[in-house]
Amino acid sequence: MSNDEIFAAAYREHYWAVSRYVARRLDGRTSEVEEVVAEVFTVAWRRRADLPAAPLPWLYGVARNCLANAVRGYGRRRRLVDRLGNDETAHGRQIVDSPDTEAPGAWVHEALNRLSPADREVLRLTAWEELAVEEVAVALGCGRRAAAMRLHRARRRLRAEIDRMSPPTVSKERSHG
Amino acid sequence: MADELELLRRANPVPVDGPHFGDGPLDHHAERHLNRLLHERPSPVRRRTRLAWGLAATTVVAALVSALLFTGQTTAPAIAAPRPLLVRADSTPVSLETLAERARAAAADGAPKLRKGTHVQAWSMGMSDDKPPITLPEERIVRWHADDSHTEIVVATDPRHPGRPVLSGEGELVEDGHVLSRQTYPPSWSDAPPQSPPPTDVTRLRAYLQEAGYSKTPLNIGELLDAVASLLDTWTLGARESATLARLLADTEGLRPLGQVTDRLGRRGQAYVYDGPGARRMLIMDPVTGAVLGLETTFTKAEPEYGVKAGDVMSYSAWMR
Repeated sequence: MSNDEIFAAAYREHYWAVSRYVARRLDGRTSEVEEVVAEVFTVAWRRRADLPAAPLPWLYGVARNCLANAVRGYGRRRRLVDRLGNDETAHGRQIVDSPDTEAPGAWVHEALNRLSPADREVLRLTAWEELAVEEVAVALGCGRRAAAMRLHRARRRLRAEIDRMSPPTVSKERSHG
Repeated sequence: MADELELLRRANPVPVDGPHFGDGPLDHHAERHLNRLLHERPSPVRRRTRLAWGLAATTVVAALVSALLFTGQTTAPAIAAPRPLLVRADSTPVSLETLAERARAAAADGAPKLRKGTHVQAWSMGMSDDKPPITLPEERIVRWHADDSHTEIVVATDPRHPGRPVLSGEGELVEDGHVLSRQTYPPSWSDAPPQSPPPTDVTRLRAYLQEAGYSKTPLNIGELLDAVASLLDTWTLGARESATLARLLADTEGLRPLGQVTDRLGRRGQAYVYDGPGARRMLIMDPVTGAVLGLETTFTKAEPEYGVKAGDVMSYSAWMR
């Protein structure tokens, strides 16, 4: 297969996974996701000669950089959209609660938001994109050992934040086991 | 208690099986972008002029406007922000129910027919970080060819100010009628809404619009109006499709008849509004055929920090045959 064909296959296979990656980091603002994803694949197209055999973690890495630009460029518009409150995700409607009533959704997000951007990203890549440590390393552009170390530390810090802010019911549950 | 990764997993805001971005075939936007990458020399991603609400950030343009305002250009450019449409005080509102009935009667002979492609004049507000917002007027024509390829022509023009220079989205002041882009796209194999023909059955049209709006759950009225705009940005509806759409809108709660307006192309229409948080959407429909003529979005409260006043027009699209 030519580079172009390999790229087209990766595009078809991973378009929606990349869209979810972007949506998760734009709080699901659907109106901006498509645009950022288009940029991700435009950058990926230019670098298609570098596309690895397992392209998804690499595409996440490209998306991470595009998002950094998007967040800088769109900050103003997003603030206005937030202020007008017409964006469903601004009200957290897309947060998916777990089946039990002690759903962690919102407060877990809050705990996550107290961490550094680097900690947040390694945790999200692991929990939401379900990447293995080797894949996290590709997405972050670091070695496997460094990725494992970052994840280990980030988990510890998230645990500490969760313990600090857990609702009483959860703490109680925890003390039982 | 579950470990921290498990808790985080459960709090995934966009799960694979959620209402948005689930795995499946590419939608037409994705197909179109892939086509473009494979068959054309990719250019930097052009920000859509009409974003969530047509708020296209164009710092360069805003800077240019300031330059124009202070350098005494001899020919006044057509940069004045359009005022919102005025509803005639003495007009009697026509209910959507009545309009849907008229549309059904008008569609009896099946003419005019549905046509793929569109002809739309749009005004949309552009924002920048430190300059007042400005309005970009564009006319867009999309024509489909026998081999399923299509050509899109975008022209900078403001029909309210014929002959005057116009600001373009690329940050230049251009002559009225200047062609901003002319692109021919290869045949697309996408058959997802809104690329597939709109159905002439209300239930199916509702499902079609939901799919066009990338949603797996029923659309709220704001999302529905967005989906209608994306339909009309792709198809020029025939009488039957317009009648179906009018019926769908009549069956949708939340659109309030307001009375008669004259749209920015001088056409008479009936206005129906939906007041959302922070913004008002006004749908303008042909009083005889029930065809959607335009959609206007205006701010309903001032946002001084953004240079926006209550009543400022965020975006306006007028569709033509």
